[in-house]
Amino acid sequence: MSFIFNEQNNKKIEELTKRYPKKKAMILPILWLAQKQEGYVSNEAIKEISKIVEMPYMHIYSVATFYTMYRLEKSDKPIIEVCRTLSCELNGSEEIKKYLDNKYSDKYKIIEVECMGACSGAPMCTLEGKYIENLTTTKIDEVLNGK
Amino acid sequence: MANKIIRQKIVSKNFEIPNSHKIDVALQNGRYSTLDKAFSKDPQELIEMVKQSGLRGKGGGGAATGNKWQFVTNKDGTKYVVVNADESEPGTFKDRQIMEFDPHLLIEGIITTCYALGSHVSYIYIRGEYEEITEVLQGAIDEAYERNYLGDNAKYKVDITVHRGAGAYICGEKSALLESLEGNRGNPRLKPHSKTEPEWYFDQPTLVNNVETIATIPFIVENGAEGYRKFGTEKAPGTLLFAISGQINNPGVYEEQFGVNMLEFLETIGGGVKNGKKLKAVIPGGASTPIIPAHQIKDVTLDYECLWGFNSELGTGGMIVLDEDVCMVKTLKNLMRFYNHESCGQCTPCREGTSWSEKILDRFMNKTATLKDLETLKSVSTIMNGKTVCVFAPAASGVIDGILRHFESEFLECIK
Repeated sequence: MSFIFNEQNNKKIEELTKRYPKKKAMILPILWLAQKQEGYVSNEAIKEISKIVEMPYMHIYSVATFYTMYRLEKSDKPIIEVCRTLSCELNGSEEIKKYLDNKYSDKYKIIEVECMGACSGAPMCTLEGKYIENLTTTKIDEVLNGK
Repeated sequence: MANKIIRQKIVSKNFEIPNSHKIDVALQNGRYSTLDKAFSKDPQELIEMVKQSGLRGKGGGGAATGNKWQFVTNKDGTKYVVVNADESEPGTFKDRQIMEFDPHLLIEGIITTCYALGSHVSYIYIRGEYEEITEVLQGAIDEAYERNYLGDNAKYKVDITVHRGAGAYICGEKSALLESLEGNRGNPRLKPHSKTEPEWYFDQPTLVNNVETIATIPFIVENGAEGYRKFGTEKAPGTLLFAISGQINNPGVYEEQFGVNMLEFLETIGGGVKNGKKLKAVIPGGASTPIIPAHQIKDVTLDYECLWGFNSELGTGGMIVLDEDVCMVKTLKNLMRFYNHESCGQCTPCREGTSWSEKILDRFMNKTATLKDLETLKSVSTIMNGKTVCVFAPAASGVIDGILRHFESEFLECIK
């Protein structure tokens, strides 16, 4: 199965080429576009990006695997990321993680991540990239059942 | 003697104004009003002004901003201004406030910085997790283009591109950030031999400054170097967006002049320790700064020089508060897990050292550690310090040493 960027993303890529002195610099932004389009970064997308920026496939692959936010596998469930770093742990992130695992792991993919820069709202998580802060079990139920 | 808590607002002045991120509201509240004054000066005059103001980088390092600007203009080539908005240091969440609540202040600062450096291209490297904030920031940039503060029709042409990272703590290190901005893995570069070297983006002289640093420039243009020096200390003039998190009643971001007493700050602004508990320790400026035990905190003032005297650092000013019930073994395990996860893997002492440390700490957590484990932990920390490309491993080493310096007895209790 091959991968092609849709028309909207092709326009964005064209715009990006004006923004950077070299095509190579567009790798991160284009990886984001690929992930947005397909929900993950497929092997075919990496091949396509390699052609666009005129860099070897292996370079794109090495970049895509360095950064934790690029997902190289498709997830069939929405993703919840629970912060586990110190300020969140001090405010009960371990219990939040356990609660989510027990109650919501069939509907959501629940993963732990390091500090997301929302320490005043600890404990916190993201749901499909959106920040949810000052978590309690009640708040989790409200947000997840309200959807 | 400590400075008074005065809640002076230099970059946070507009934070509480509704819709402060929209350009019409921003204009009504003074944004872009310093540009004409900046353009009326010779670029070198602006650089001298920033030097005289004593402005220091607010991303953690505290380097003299004016000197950094001069290193760039001393070189020939296309100049780039890169704003470090990677903000990934645990306990730090201040730059996001500027980008969310006053993005036009940052844009105004960028325009003046570009003018002073003779640059027409700026990148804001923002951490990937800040997706919602990126949208606000991009919205503000689009508005600034429409109103001709940016782009070809501006009085001074500047193009700003927001470049999203993708989840790598190390990209907050400026050379790793530039590697990432060039489309590479975020591996830090070797430091130059000369201390007067700028950074380089695709081999062109480049400035990397933190968001808050750049956002301070409009105030300095408006009030002059002396206006900025009215606040803070002789060596650390001005203010910082201090953050408080952990076990504290009022977690948040609060602007304050440098040099105020830490305990007073935590009690009056922070509202004291949560649940009426006693204070055990504070990590003063983001996870990477060595811990300060409670009995020393009354003597600490919030400025770079004072914290050095306590074998620690002011860092980003993001304080993490720990109460009397916190287990220091667990705290260190939490932090070493972070370092192990975030090590870029380029240097062996760091890649292996952070991983070893976490594994050793697991044994302390399970109470299966031996005295030999404690010795190994100390020796790993020594090996990580000063033998790597960047300061990541030395920071991890400082975290271990700091906790062991003050709380070794808790580790001895975990030995079988």
